[in-house]
Amino acid sequence: MSDDIKIGIYLCEGCGIAEAVNMDELEQAVANQYQVAKCQRHAAFCSDEGRAVIEKDVKDGEVNRVLVAACSHRVMTDRFNFDGAATVRANLREQVAWTQPPQDEDTQAFAKDNVLMGIAQARTCDLPEPHENVVKSEKILVVGGGISGLTAALEAARAGHEVTLVEKTDQLGGWTRKWSKLIPSRPPYRGLIDNPIEDIIKAVEENDKITVMLNTLVSKTSGEPGEFSVTLSQGGNETEDVFGSIVVATGWRMPDDMTPYEKYGLGKIGNVISGVDFEEVLKNGLEHEGKKLNTIAIIIPCESEAMPYTSGVADRIAIKQAIQVMDADPSAMVYVLHDNLRAHGQAEELYREAQEKGVVFMKAMVKSASEGPELVIDDLLLGREATLTGLDAVVVQTGMMPNSTNPDLPMAEKGNEFLCDDVNPRVPITINGQPAGDGDEVKAEAAGDGEEASAVTPDCDPENPPLPGGPILNLQYRQGPHIPILYNGFIDSHYICFPYETRRTGIYVCGAVRKPMTTAEAKEDAAGAVLKAKQAINLVKESRATHPRVGDLSYPHFGLDICTKCRRCTVECPFGAIDENEEGYPKLNPSRCRRCGTCMGACPVRTISFKNYSPNMVAEMIEAVEQPDPFDEKPRIMVFACENDAYPALDMAGINRREINKYMRFIPVRCLGSVTLMWVSHALEKGYDGVMLMGCKSGDDYQCHFVKGSAIAKERIGKVEETLRNLMLEPERVSFEEVSIADSKRVVELLDQFGEQIKGIGLNPFKGF
Amino acid sequence: MTAVPTPSRTYDLSFARWVRENVEGGDKLNMCMQCGMCSGSCPNGQEMDNGPRKLFMMVRAGLKDEVLSSSTLWECTSCYRCYVRCPRGIPVTTIVQHLAALAAKEGYAPKNKVENYFFSKAFWWSAESFGKTDERLVTMKYFFSFGFGEGIRKALDNLKIALGMIKAGRMHIGLPHTIKNKSQLKAMIAKAKELEQKG
Repeated sequence: MSDDIKIGIYLCEGCGIAEAVNMDELEQAVANQYQVAKCQRHAAFCSDEGRAVIEKDVKDGEVNRVLVAACSHRVMTDRFNFDGAATVRANLREQVAWTQPPQDEDTQAFAKDNVLMGIAQARTCDLPEPHENVVKSEKILVVGGGISGLTAALEAARAGHEVTLVEKTDQLGGWTRKWSKLIPSRPPYRGLIDNPIEDIIKAVEENDKITVMLNTLVSKTSGEPGEFSVTLSQGGNETEDVFGSIVVATGWRMPDDMTPYEKYGLGKIGNVISGVDFEEVLKNGLEHEGKKLNTIAIIIPCESEAMPYTSGVADRIAIKQAIQVMDADPSAMVYVLHDNLRAHGQAEELYREAQEKGVVFMKAMVKSASEGPELVIDDLLLGREATLTGLDAVVVQTGMMPNSTNPDLPMAEKGNEFLCDDVNPRVPITINGQPAGDGDEVKAEAAGDGEEASAVTPDCDPENPPLPGGPILNLQYRQGPHIPILYNGFIDSHYICFPYETRRTGIYVCGAVRKPMTTAEAKEDAAGAVLKAKQAINLVKESRATHPRVGDLSYPHFGLDICTKCRRCTVECPFGAIDENEEGYPKLNPSRCRRCGTCMGACPVRTISFKNYSPNMVAEMIEAVEQPDPFDEKPRIMVFACENDAYPALDMAGINRREINKYMRFIPVRCLGSVTLMWVSHALEKGYDGVMLMGCKSGDDYQCHFVKGSAIAKERIGKVEETLRNLMLEPERVSFEEVSIADSKRVVELLDQFGEQIKGIGLNPFKGF
Repeated sequence: MTAVPTPSRTYDLSFARWVRENVEGGDKLNMCMQCGMCSGSCPNGQEMDNGPRKLFMMVRAGLKDEVLSSSTLWECTSCYRCYVRCPRGIPVTTIVQHLAALAAKEGYAPKNKVENYFFSKAFWWSAESFGKTDERLVTMKYFFSFGFGEGIRKALDNLKIALGMIKAGRMHIGLPHTIKNKSQLKAMIAKAKELEQKG
């Protein structure tokens, strides 16, 4: 229906654009382009008056695609949003007016190219149509009946949702039941508080909105947010229910391997007890095995040698327990032996309180423990070795191992490789031992550089996963039954930017299964996760995307007619949103989808697209840029900039008036994961002299908003070399850079460096063909 | 004042707790977080065997003998830098001075850093006797603290300096400086001693 496309170009003259660019020339150059119905100019289209001009044209049916050539697409999104017309933007302000010398030949070319790219984009993008989605249930399932789970259930009920709380054991309360006193969570952060767990359990049991199910495991979960269909097994009796979203609060357990603590005598020597068991002693007024304790050493083991699972929690608990001992018996002698004492948050006050009460903190390494108990220590403050004698008890703080899996269950039959990392996208995917797909291209790509690579990244061995045990939710997903973990077994959730998100949409995580935390922190965490769970249900009701493209209506469409069933999309989706149907074709669960487009970047036949973002759209945009005459010696470099961090950094460079290399052309992408290699080769074929991919940081400390997008893009770009050699081009023409949102200075430097590099290589020989 | 306890084992806190109760400023000693600001700030720190930070940790470790015979107590020049800079507000100088007094009382003092100990004694003798310090008397007292022969030798060594100072009018000849109403000073000191005895 391309005949119907009527593009309206709105050239804004405000914010210094008119001073930098010759608007008459620009209007002449773009107004007569194919399918451009109208071209208007105004001093400020963001003003009410300017907006009314566009609105009128849309209303009168004169235009049905709006191209606002003004500021970056990241600002004024509400202002430039017109009912019934897809709106795209051409960035004339941040990229041109604010970063280029005014009234210059190259500035003019930059502005023109940006508008031409906008026209190509307007031509190829449409208004997204929401998928038909039904929210079958607004109930929230909370898995785990410890302090996080109880708080989550209460908060969800308070927010008006029906809740089912599932607990594995026969009673609620979890670890918190054992605690004697708790660390204060309010000013003045001094003085330990009483354990409120009994009241919380009572509140949960009395709440009509909460159904508590004890001795219950989740045996199966399928579906998507808004309609998770969950099988609950209560002592063998299976019941099925539908939930809107799920909060996982399975907490922690003692480390499976306690041998590192044997060095301190734990489990070997009498009167050496763990920090957890010491809580019982504290409850009993310092009585242990019929003897009143007076002289106690509390060991916070050195993390590097003993505690892979711990954090500042052990340190804070040691301080808390030391205070409790001094409160119970002011004549007691308490030594806290630490390597690094970490008093996170407000616990510095607690540390002072302990000091005031006469607790002795010693930076000391325990060398050995013997009967008595006696400790040989290396006192790092006195610089000498000493022996601690006359101790009544030694308390060893242990680590917290996350219950990301259920240790009581056997390992899952398949899909364990998805627990800890992603499948290596460079390796062929096999179906029944045969390489998947029948397109030659797939095979050629899959062959890679001939190295014998494993199907999963090296740190994840499916035979020997980092966490034993079976899945918690037993997800019936293409990508296995687990919720993926990051390091030390804690569930993958970006701990600063999006803490409660797991890599399974609609399933949120809180408490010590996410990161080690104290009771007070777990309560706060639970409330946060419930808010996300509620938000997910509300967004799914409107067929909108949840985090991080909150509210996005678009979703990927799969052209199954040319699909080769290579399964790359189903394997590479960072969120396990795509399943496979019986015939092996991809089947999207739209509410699980986060709209990053990683599937689009993965598809070797380019048959996955969004209404307003598609391989074709970007290819058209690449072609739209005018290549200068080869004799002008002016290169053109295409930069695919991730719109989450890289593009904002570029905008920021504009706001700071840093000069951006004038030979660069930018296309914002949803995530680097959505960049298909076709775009790279297409750009080089069309005469661009270089291509740069600019995205977020990948790896364990990733900043990618779609978790794996930039990592996958990095993998993919690693194999572009061969494609370039086939084109007889230098591999240095393609560059991959990781930047952060604060790198406004660095991005400019990177662009200049790459510009210099391209200059050194010389112009693309394809130019002009 | 109760008798100073001698810890039976390392890290026995009886000595540390006695210091907390009985040494001026000792109640703040608990708050030491071993940051080392005091030792790092001390202009005389290189001369000390331990430095205030380590000294305080030794108090906690119950190393009574080592603490009271430490040269740190006698190398302190009371410049108060540590006191001013301590992030936990511990009166470091006060504690060190009082530990020195304790060392003297407990008979540890003359065994180490005799010079500083003798000088302190000479200084106090002059202040107590005349209500003022007289440079000639303090010096002579100090010199002869080492014994008669040693005193003569030290005096002769410094004779040239003394003569030069007299010539320049920096040291006077004649009766020692003194205050009026010396008996009142004596009464005050007696009262202070009495209070100290009471603890």
